Amino acid sequence: MLPSKGTESGMKHLSDQDLMRIVQAGDHYPASEIYDRYSGRIYNFAFRFLKNAEAAEDATQETFVKMLRHANQFHGDAKLSTWLFSITANWCRDHLRKADNKPKDSDDVLVMLPASSDTSPDRTLERREDETRVRKALGALTPEQREAILLSRYQGLSYAEIAQISGCSEGAVKTRVFRAMETLKKALMGEGRGGSRCLTAK
Amino acid sequence: MSDCEVMRESMPLLLTESLDADRRELTHRHIETCEICGEEWADAKETWAMLEELPVVEVPPHVKARFLEAAGLADLNADLDTGKPSNVIPFHRRPAFKWVAQAAAVAVMVGGGWFAGHRTAPARSERTPAMVTGRMPIVPSAIQPISLSETRVIDASALSPTIEGRPDITNVAVDPGNGEEVTVSFDATSHWTVKGNPRDKSMLKLASYVIENEASSGSTGSTTIESFRRVYSDPALAAPEIASAFGKVLVSQEHEGKRIQAVESLKTLPPTISVASPAQGALIEAIKNDPNPDVRIKAIDALARQATGGVKLDAEAVNTLRQKAFEADENLYVRRKAAEALSTIKP
Repeated sequence: MLPSKGTESGMKHLSDQDLMRIVQAGDHYPASEIYDRYSGRIYNFAFRFLKNAEAAEDATQETFVKMLRHANQFHGDAKLSTWLFSITANWCRDHLRKADNKPKDSDDVLVMLPASSDTSPDRTLERREDETRVRKALGALTPEQREAILLSRYQGLSYAEIAQISGCSEGAVKTRVFRAMETLKKALMGEGRGGSRCLTAK
Repeated sequence: MSDCEVMRESMPLLLTESLDADRRELTHRHIETCEICGEEWADAKETWAMLEELPVVEVPPHVKARFLEAAGLADLNADLDTGKPSNVIPFHRRPAFKWVAQAAAVAVMVGGGWFAGHRTAPARSERTPAMVTGRMPIVPSAIQPISLSETRVIDASALSPTIEGRPDITNVAVDPGNGEEVTVSFDATSHWTVKGNPRDKSMLKLASYVIENEASSGSTGSTTIESFRRVYSDPALAAPEIASAFGKVLVSQEHEGKRIQAVESLKTLPPTISVASPAQGALIEAIKNDPNPDVRIKAIDALARQATGGVKLDAEAVNTLRQKAFEADENLYVRRKAAEALSTIKP
């Protein structure tokens, strides 16, 4: 039996598909539970993609609003996470297309767990430097490459899922990830690495 | 396209474990025999690992409030506090009826008392934001149930070494700290942050549980195992409980990346700790049956490290190495590693 409003805790044991069936039946109450399950992943993807905390917040909110508005377009043949990432990625791409929304080299310091004050100053500084290097390296990728590497590296999605989200073939995803890795190697390991070392060997 | 080009294109797929078994084996064999591709592979792995440095950021609470309002669920906003910046999302205690239901799912014991699905004291209904650095007031002799359904920051010493109900935990974040205090944050039915001395029995239990949870988790790209490895590879902190947890991940995790992390973690533990059962059994099992040659090689390295570290390997470990060294169908590099490991064992 599906839980009715007022038994929020009961929803925690329901599958994504069950929750979406309730939403599709017109009851938006499970939206809170779905938000709790996926908002972290959605927000982190959008934040790393757009490099803008404010836009990432909008992307997150819009993703779940669209989820409710277009709930009947979810047929359960794909994972809910894949569908949600599709909505987010679309929103982010649209956002970047607008002239004034190019990704910025943001040094946004967001609230994170655990607090940096709990670590030693040296370690905090070292970590901050590493973060900055990685953020800049990701920023050097094309939006398509960044989308592919973020979904692959940080969200653990398969190339088939990424292809579905990005609206391209698996082969295109493979190429994007490969080229992204080449660029990242150069940026993070230094020039001379990640180039054509192997290609010129034979 | 040359072999090297094909193999290089396969490297990202190898990192994401998206290659089928034959291609994976073929790529590994090429990497082992081609020095240049071996260097490319090392760079690729290092780059992939460096991407881990990007921290997971928390969604500001007001985003949920805005969404719930847009969804016509503004009444649920009563559970949110959106105005307090903190390093922990400031949840509030929930009304008692929700507390009872959620506590039925997961509970931890505190101060020697127990709680498993029923209340022993009425819940306070007033709102109390979680503290960033504050600690739970503990009355040592009192039974004090804590439900994981509430968000709070607590000291590990407040936890009983027993965790009941096998709660399904997600979004784990570990800060190794400076060796004196480790911080573990996770979502159970709400967000928790536990701080404490890594030697503390309760922290060891929690760390073991979180590591083992990786074995049943389908997530990828986790920093959990790596973070705990950093903490407990310190000889002063290493503990058999942690070795055992890494061993469980090694034998039960389907995700190759996590098995590699687990076996590397076992390698870095002091030999006198990693040799303890069941960690030792996990290493032997991995050498015998793990489908990934990288895991088998690292497991052999771990045994070799035990031998050079002055630990006397038991007969099963020695026989496993011997078997691998002479197994005709085995990967050549694995065989060579096994032979090298055998040469380190003192008669």
